[in-house]
Amino acid sequence: MQLLGLRECASAAVDWFLCNRLKRTRVFRFFLSQFCHPTSCCSAAEIMAVLFFHTMRYKPQDPRNPHNDRFVLSKGHAAPILYAVWAEAGFLPEEELLNLRKITSDLDGHPVPKQAFTDVATGSLGQGLGAACGMAYTGKYFDKASYRVYCLLGDGELSEGSVWEAMAFASIYKLDNLIAILDVNRLGQSDPTPLQHQVDVYQKRCEAFGWHTVIVDGHSVEELCKAFGQAKHQPTAIVAKTFKGRGIPGIEDKDAWHGKPLPKNMADQIVQEIYNQIQSKKKILVTPPQEDAPSVSITSIRMPSPPSYKVGDKIATRKAYGQALAKLGRAHDRIIALDGDTKNSTFSDIFRKEHPDRFIECYIAEQNMVSVAVGCATRNRTVPFCSAFGAFFTRAFDQIRMAAISESNINFCGSHCGVSIGEDGPSQMALEDLAMFRSIPTATVFYPSDAVSTEKAVELAANTKGICFIRTSRPENAIIYNNNEDFQVKQAKVVLKSKDDQVTVIGAGVTLHEALAAADLLKKEKINIRVLDPFTIKPLDRNLILESARATKGRILTVEDHYYEGGIGEAVCCALVGEPGITVSRLAVGEVPRSGKPAELLKMFGIDRDAIAQAVRDLVAKA
Amino acid sequence: VVALDGDTKNSTFSELFKKEHPSRFIECYIAEQNMVSVAVGCASRDRNIVFASTFATFFTRAYDQIRMAAISESNINLCGSHCGVSIGEDGPSQMGLEDISLFRAIPNSTVFYPSDAVATEKAVELAANRKGICFIRTSRPENAVIYDSGEDFQVGQAKVVSKSKDDQVTVIGAGVTLHEAIAAAEQLKKDKIFIRVIDPFTIKPLDSETILKNARETKGRIITVEDHYPEGGIGEAVSAALIGEPGIMVRRLAVSHVPRSGKPNELLKLFGIDKDAIIQAVKSVVSKSRNAE
Repeated sequence: MQLLGLRECASAAVDWFLCNRLKRTRVFRFFLSQFCHPTSCCSAAEIMAVLFFHTMRYKPQDPRNPHNDRFVLSKGHAAPILYAVWAEAGFLPEEELLNLRKITSDLDGHPVPKQAFTDVATGSLGQGLGAACGMAYTGKYFDKASYRVYCLLGDGELSEGSVWEAMAFASIYKLDNLIAILDVNRLGQSDPTPLQHQVDVYQKRCEAFGWHTVIVDGHSVEELCKAFGQAKHQPTAIVAKTFKGRGIPGIEDKDAWHGKPLPKNMADQIVQEIYNQIQSKKKILVTPPQEDAPSVSITSIRMPSPPSYKVGDKIATRKAYGQALAKLGRAHDRIIALDGDTKNSTFSDIFRKEHPDRFIECYIAEQNMVSVAVGCATRNRTVPFCSAFGAFFTRAFDQIRMAAISESNINFCGSHCGVSIGEDGPSQMALEDLAMFRSIPTATVFYPSDAVSTEKAVELAANTKGICFIRTSRPENAIIYNNNEDFQVKQAKVVLKSKDDQVTVIGAGVTLHEALAAADLLKKEKINIRVLDPFTIKPLDRNLILESARATKGRILTVEDHYYEGGIGEAVCCALVGEPGITVSRLAVGEVPRSGKPAELLKMFGIDRDAIAQAVRDLVAKA
Repeated sequence: VVALDGDTKNSTFSELFKKEHPSRFIECYIAEQNMVSVAVGCASRDRNIVFASTFATFFTRAYDQIRMAAISESNINLCGSHCGVSIGEDGPSQMGLEDISLFRAIPNSTVFYPSDAVATEKAVELAANRKGICFIRTSRPENAVIYDSGEDFQVGQAKVVSKSKDDQVTVIGAGVTLHEAIAAAEQLKKDKIFIRVIDPFTIKPLDSETILKNARETKGRIITVEDHYPEGGIGEAVSAALIGEPGIMVRRLAVSHVPRSGKPNELLKLFGIDKDAIIQAVKSVVSKSRNAE
């Protein structure tokens, strides 16, 4: 079958640690003495050797090649072993290994995508398999290519629920191009794992989730080679029984060594012992991949036509999102949508009806949905749009955080924001989502207030790098923009203006419409207000806000269907603090809400037209 | 009092509790969502006073559970260690950089950010007695004890840790950045520039009265410096509290983008939140004002 016999595999397993060249010895000695998590690396040595020098098909000099087999190191703290195999494969210069974790090196403490061989950042455990599922789904259903996806997990991280969400997903979608390797070394960080070496229990669990599962001696190259060779119509789990710190006498299988480098004298001795075991100095050639992944370009995605709404008609922005996404899907066949069993509420169902092959139902498993999206977006294979109730993205905050560290370009739509959803009550209301997404580096936060701007937001998000979030509402509100209105990131709109405005009121979504209604009320009292739609909360159009404020005697009133912290009001405060003569009053939801009709709740929580009008009167009177 | 942890007890030091009170420690393994839910369950009907700990950043894993805990009117206490770039080489996946924002946005929460061991001990005691979700943010680096054992601490009460009659700027720091600010103050003295240093102790509720009073005594100049992203943290809290107060300006130093591996002090420097960055900011703020005058 292969260039390599099993004997060569065996020697390669040891050989990748070091070879006859002294500088490699120095490297390995340095490794053991300097880096954290050596024991977690040792348990996976044979697994990594077999994967990278026997099983996987890839181009060592072109790690991001779209035809390559993919590898995800879900147990990201074993990063040094990943770096070591890429050095052995010839991609990384060996000397670079000595710079591990240094501020001058790309070899961070955990894998990050500035390394060409790392598609998704790992280090927060339990997320790698979900990303691998996204890659495998893409390979099987979108690329329809031969590449396979391998994911190495630790046993400590098998406690994470997200792992089992991914296990279920892979089985539902029959991802037979996905192989998970469980490095069962018995020990977690601060204690043994709950199941320790009960590999039969792991096997039963994997099989219960629909995976073809084999148990192997994780330190037997022969068994590993055989296990990887099996093809099935299911995803495959290799339960590898291993020993943490394997090959290091005195440390192997002992507690309390997680995260600890080896003392120098110990490292020296161990290096010598391993060195003496090397049988062959032959370099192993990696088998190249089959080149059957289609070429894909995801730049410059344009809607096929402008929006076609009528000013004054009423439609909820959540519905406009669904319509916009379906429309964008006509323009480009790599736009994909994911949802967590809320498609009839988020309206991603409209996309599904039109482009069923590009919709992935992720069921009620938001963490996995986000990880799958990240996997689908790797190597620019797709442009994912994930939707759910805005509140439920809090379930996946860690995955979203890691997606930013992974430099991922995925788009989110969170519907049912704020108290304005009404009777379902606070568990379903997103009231902290603006704070959450604002705190994500690389994020753009869209908060469109009508259907036209929602459609524009969808198009912009598809073309904006980083994490994009679109906040949509449940109530139906009027279209206020013409179809040819231009929208850009960081460009607010003044939607109401006169020569004599007393206060600038900044609202978004339902509160923008409340602000317009307040403007009508106030006109009767001869008080004019300027109403501003920020469109994007991050980045914020500071200039236009400041300009408006200066034209309205420095008075700004922000009103948002969100808690006070981290939302529109705080964003505006931050942007303008220190500007002389500017005041910012803020209306927001001040406590955990409750059930009620939408209009009643807007009133109760002081963010409706009456509250706005009163706040304006107070500001004017104060002056 | 019971303690929970997610297989990080040797890093969060909840293991000290475990050693002394083993029957009251619940190992939750690497499953933070469940740890928070179990904590909520343990606290229901006031059966227990619960403290759950893990790395600060891994509370993002349980944000929905924390959100629902607030809707449940739960009184759990959470301690997040390894905040900020100051953890060093492990890199961004382990760094808490959005946790202050996360916990501030939880209704009825209290966010403690104690800067030394004395204040930390006080925070733990206060948290145990305080309703709602309490979060205590702790750091990995070793820093000096700066408070006397007899110092009184209260929620919403900041401390002025360094003060003179000639202070030019009020610098607000917490955790590692408070110590960087204190070091900056020492160095600036040599250039005859004096700064007031404030330890907020709780970021929520924020002692805006003390901050405003001291800012007024330092010509309205405030610099905030935090080992956290710019959004939703100390700088934003201070800006929101003081907007509209005439003559107040707030310059915010924070970690501006996804960090990387490196030694703690190298990272503090690279991300502009170390002693030298504070000194630079102070000098810039002072000269800007002089020019304006």
